[in-house]
Amino acid sequence: MKVSRFKQYLLSGVSYAIPFVASGGILIAVSIAFAPMTASGPDFSRAPFLKLINDIGSAAFAFLIPVLSGYIAFGIADRPGLVAGFVGGYIASQVGAGFLGGIVSGLLAGFLVFWIKKIKPPSYLRPIMPILVIPVLSSLVVGFVMFKIIGAPIRDIMTAIQHWLEMMNTGNQVVLGIVLGSMIAFDMGGPVNKVAFFFGAAMIQKGNFAVMGACAAAICVPPLGLGLATLLDRKLWTDQEKEAGLAALAMGAIGITEGAIPFAAADPLRVIPVIMLGSSVGSVIAMLGQVGDHAPHGGPIVLPVVDNRLVYVIAILAGTFTVALLMNAIKKRMARKEQAKEAP
Amino acid sequence: MTIVGITACPTGIAHTYMAAERLEKAGKKMGLRVKIETQGAMGIENELTAEDIREAAAVIFAVGIPVRRKERFEGKTIYEIGVQEAIKNAEAILLKIQNELGR
Repeated sequence: MKVSRFKQYLLSGVSYAIPFVASGGILIAVSIAFAPMTASGPDFSRAPFLKLINDIGSAAFAFLIPVLSGYIAFGIADRPGLVAGFVGGYIASQVGAGFLGGIVSGLLAGFLVFWIKKIKPPSYLRPIMPILVIPVLSSLVVGFVMFKIIGAPIRDIMTAIQHWLEMMNTGNQVVLGIVLGSMIAFDMGGPVNKVAFFFGAAMIQKGNFAVMGACAAAICVPPLGLGLATLLDRKLWTDQEKEAGLAALAMGAIGITEGAIPFAAADPLRVIPVIMLGSSVGSVIAMLGQVGDHAPHGGPIVLPVVDNRLVYVIAILAGTFTVALLMNAIKKRMARKEQAKEAP
Repeated sequence: MTIVGITACPTGIAHTYMAAERLEKAGKKMGLRVKIETQGAMGIENELTAEDIREAAAVIFAVGIPVRRKERFEGKTIYEIGVQEAIKNAEAILLKIQNELGR
């Protein structure tokens, strides 16, 4: 299959998911920004209205993976693909398979329904194919695969990673920084990201603020770096990417890694390695500079509860510029290559 | 000669409409009837009617995401290009189609 087709399918999902990211991300961001930050995260106990906004934003955000998955399937198989795509995406987020699980379930649902549609049923069955046979059959298959085949291995992988992380804490700080940074950036708020994040949060309880400090710097680097990239060299990016860049900057500032998803989903093989590197730079500097974060949250917004604030700021800036400059350099090379191809 | 088309970019707020405008403008300049349906964030706008499609000599898809309701164009000559391409080279694209159709 042509790569451009494949990209169209992924972008179909992204194009419908963007408004959900914006709605959820901005509402959550606003509520966190105005709530007092404490050692156990933002405190909504005396701010019921901010809590309400946070709940509404979380509701919108909960649709992100189902919509992504559903509309990837829609892109491949059109309307009949929607049900299995949504169901698969919902299960992906339920079992903790996150954004990558949603992409897998969307592709699975789409190709399955595309294939079922090729079967020519007898004419008396034809009317019930799109409203009965395809939705039931495809959700059953996709749901089974997500719950029974793909879900469990991901959970196991996560547990294994967690044990490995805990054992490594005594070892080399640089290695730990690279591992944490890479994990935070890898799936941008997905299960791998959450493993590193919860490890950092758990360490806070045990009186170690350094792991969370490294995570906090890494968390905001992908959206900040990609947003900055769109600002540094405007002509490399399309209008829609520039808009997504501004949203990413806002989300990065309040520590929401998901702001990088629109970029990563469009071009995962280039964007994900770059942001993993940038986040690693940020968390290694934070590790070595003994940055401590007392709140289980990241980004510039937690600066008031961070130890060694100057190093924290330097770590974020270094990671952000790594992503922005590297991304633009890669983009420039791609643009030159394409030009060379077009020329006779 | 009539040419119809669809434009759709992933975000669906800027490029979809820019591409449609460029193609229609280029068509006017060349004396062609060009009608473009936009499939953007607001949904389907300036929808192509069955008659539009029947009369069209060619169909252009200037898209970054899959075209919705593609079945309407069965049996038609379809040119699929990127959205950026339509914005940058609308006239060249129409010219190429014109030449290939031999008119």
